[in-house]
Amino acid sequence: MRVSARNLLKNTLDLPPSLRTQAYATAANTSAAQPCTVPPWRPSNVLDDWVARDVRPISLRQLTFFGRTLTEPRLLESANYVRLELPTRIAHRLRNMQTLPYTALTNEHISHVYELYYGAFERFRKVSEVRNLDDNDRYCAVLKQTLNEHLSVIPRLAMGVLEIQDTIGPDQSDLLMKTLLRSRISRRVIAEQHLALTETFHSPWHFPNAKKPATLTPEDDFVGEILLKCNAKEIIEKCAATATQLASKAYGSEVAIPKIVLQGHLDTTFPYIPSHIEYIIGELLRNSIQAVIEQKGSSEPPPIEVLICEAAQHVIIRISDQGGGIERDVLPYLWSFAKGPRRYRRLENLATVPRLKATMQELEPGAASHSDKVKHGSSLSSLSSRPPELRLGMGLPMSKIYAKYWAGSLELHSLEGYGCDAFLQISRLGNKNEVLTTRASMDAV
Amino acid sequence: MLSLRTAARHHGVALRPDLPVHNLPLHRRLPSGTRPIQTATVKDADIARLAAKPLHPLTLADLCKNGRPPLSKQSLLSNANFTLSILPSRLAHRIQSLRSLPYIVVANPNVNKIHNNYVHSLSTLLPYAERKIETLEEEIKFTEAMADLVQTHSNTIAILAKGFLEARKYISKDEVTKFLDEHLRARIGTRLIAEQHIALHMSSKPHNDLSDQDQHKEDEDSSFIGVIDTELKPAALVRACENTVGEICELKYGVRPTVQIVGSPDATIAHIPMHIEYVLTELLKNSFRATIEAGMEKEAIEITIAPSPPPPEPAGKPSTSPEDLPIDPATNTPAAITTHDQGAVDAASSSPKPTASTSPNIRPLSHATPGVTIRIRDRGGGIDPSNLAKLWEYGFTTFNEDEIHDKTSGSGGGGMAGLDMLSGGAGQGSELAGLGYGLPLGRAYAEYFGESVGVGD
Repeated sequence: MRVSARNLLKNTLDLPPSLRTQAYATAANTSAAQPCTVPPWRPSNVLDDWVARDVRPISLRQLTFFGRTLTEPRLLESANYVRLELPTRIAHRLRNMQTLPYTALTNEHISHVYELYYGAFERFRKVSEVRNLDDNDRYCAVLKQTLNEHLSVIPRLAMGVLEIQDTIGPDQSDLLMKTLLRSRISRRVIAEQHLALTETFHSPWHFPNAKKPATLTPEDDFVGEILLKCNAKEIIEKCAATATQLASKAYGSEVAIPKIVLQGHLDTTFPYIPSHIEYIIGELLRNSIQAVIEQKGSSEPPPIEVLICEAAQHVIIRISDQGGGIERDVLPYLWSFAKGPRRYRRLENLATVPRLKATMQELEPGAASHSDKVKHGSSLSSLSSRPPELRLGMGLPMSKIYAKYWAGSLELHSLEGYGCDAFLQISRLGNKNEVLTTRASMDAV
Repeated sequence: MLSLRTAARHHGVALRPDLPVHNLPLHRRLPSGTRPIQTATVKDADIARLAAKPLHPLTLADLCKNGRPPLSKQSLLSNANFTLSILPSRLAHRIQSLRSLPYIVVANPNVNKIHNNYVHSLSTLLPYAERKIETLEEEIKFTEAMADLVQTHSNTIAILAKGFLEARKYISKDEVTKFLDEHLRARIGTRLIAEQHIALHMSSKPHNDLSDQDQHKEDEDSSFIGVIDTELKPAALVRACENTVGEICELKYGVRPTVQIVGSPDATIAHIPMHIEYVLTELLKNSFRATIEAGMEKEAIEITIAPSPPPPEPAGKPSTSPEDLPIDPATNTPAAITTHDQGAVDAASSSPKPTASTSPNIRPLSHATPGVTIRIRDRGGGIDPSNLAKLWEYGFTTFNEDEIHDKTSGSGGGGMAGLDMLSGGAGQGSELAGLGYGLPLGRAYAEYFGESVGVGD
């Protein structure tokens, strides 16, 4: 009963004094070992100015259209859009973090992320207008450096959120994670897109005014990071192969891995960022494989069925398994970053996630295909290639954030004792704007 | 040891609640740094552990339970140990409460200073934690820690007010009010316990054995039990406050209104003089300013002192309530304080809080000593209806935004600094108005042991 009451409260200050003593007592038991890291003082007026600006959200279609005919003025325009958007978006998130209770922000993980963000903010806001290609190159170097530095943000944030559950309730921490991660995706999308465009512009086979060559090279389907024709079948097969490979390595060769069977409109294509869609499908498949193996044992496992359905404006991918469904005690916390009964185990596992960049080559030497094009580290690909025993409890909530980012959706229907159906819906046309936390909703929060 | 005693020789006129120490006359200053106070490092685990203990609700009986001074050695040690048992957890609660505020508010240098003050005070008490005080030497050191605590936190309200004013963009007024209500009320209790122990220490047998005979005699005849005056005359307090506030008034406006005391000027009650002094000063500041600005300084401000007849049984109808006050909406602004010495419970602990602002008098307990109602009537033009709702907010003042900029910019101008030095201080700030803390804080003091303040417009 106390747990549900806590869910409704934003802050320990809202508790009446008698219950508050109880809350402090709980915190005393868990926080005894946690160090307190106080960020250094900074004047707040600098941040105030950037917080007052509004973001300009963008859609997939705008990004592709923009990058199609890549001329120098276009490239510089992209650089300046990114130059102003990044500090604005980070400033909003910094303000969100600053309004957390003092105890929450001084948690070592949260304050580590806060410091990373503040450093990035300081770096980004000082960049002057990009007027020529040299300016652009310098700016791209700054972007790359920052992208690399921030690879560890996701597991750190997840750990911090789990540790500060006594100070802020699960509702507020879920909202915080969602807002932070959504914004992070958006910043990395526009930054990585600009880097990819710059690379294309400088690549030896790029001639802005030349006619298209007779043979279509794979590079033509890409506009920066965006693959214009993500083939659903290919992506699912690729993710299935990766997941199966990881599973057999982890469980050993005697254990039979369920097959993944595709059905439906197999030649569906849609524009998307490959790493995003691979992450989502990868997570769902891994969950399904794990559930099936751990339930049925080593006999003939029932296959996992993937159905691709193409509608006028959407693509819907349904992943069905017979893995026994989701346990009762876990179900309420499925989409939450603040896990319930499994909290401490998740915390331990998160602590063992290695520095993400380093593991990309370690775990999967030959895996990267499109990610070859990406010179800088991608935090997603290394998360995707973690061993199955490493259960972080983040896959579903993260996948949902990614799905919703381009105005899609992710749902899960559990048939208790039988299996699970996951429904991933993606917009086909790419004309929906990014879903960001706007100033109005931020102030309401 | 001698300096500590000298400092508190006039312990009968106890310290004003929130006065910057440098404004005190020399002989009333506490020794700062005569001996270094022993401190221990405060770990987060300590704070968490102490905050997990429930708060002890403070009563007037607690303050007097070790007997009338001069105290014997046993009683003194007992009082020291009682103080030691409840102070650390009170401090820890305050620290946790501060840490629950948004980070950006606690990062404000002023609010941060207050936070650090509390951590420092807790560090001076930790060496005594889990031990009992058993010798007079330990008790002396402990009293010095108390003195250090009182001195460190003497200017809390002004600094906190400035901090919240600077951070007003990042936290809503409601949150500020809620936090301050609780924090400042708890602070009253914490200071009271510490000052009571210091005062009892001063008037106890073991520490006065070496003093001159006159001092000893004075103590035996004293009506004081620590900071509580059992023969407090409200009329005397009124005159004292009138003087102080009047001086500031003259400095600022050139004129001062007069005060007429009617009713029973000779009535006496048992209470803590500095609390009542604070409330009276704040109310008089408001009245004087309103009177002068309405051009009515020739009209005397009428203060009625009405001792309440002892109730025949508990839960009897109180003698006066705000509704009974005669109200003349056009010209009159009576403000009533009712003090009932009831041994009731302080509101900052987990016991139920008294209800909202103009709540009528709380029912006296069965062993209540007679109380008194003080009504202040001025002709300052009343309160604008639109301001009535915000009366009890912290930081609400009818001074305009420019004045606020003056206060937060820190420069303040030479005028304010001059006032600071000359006026000798009556409550925090020592200018006539402006921080917006007078009414809500006055109410906190008045309601501390279950009394009330009401405003009739």
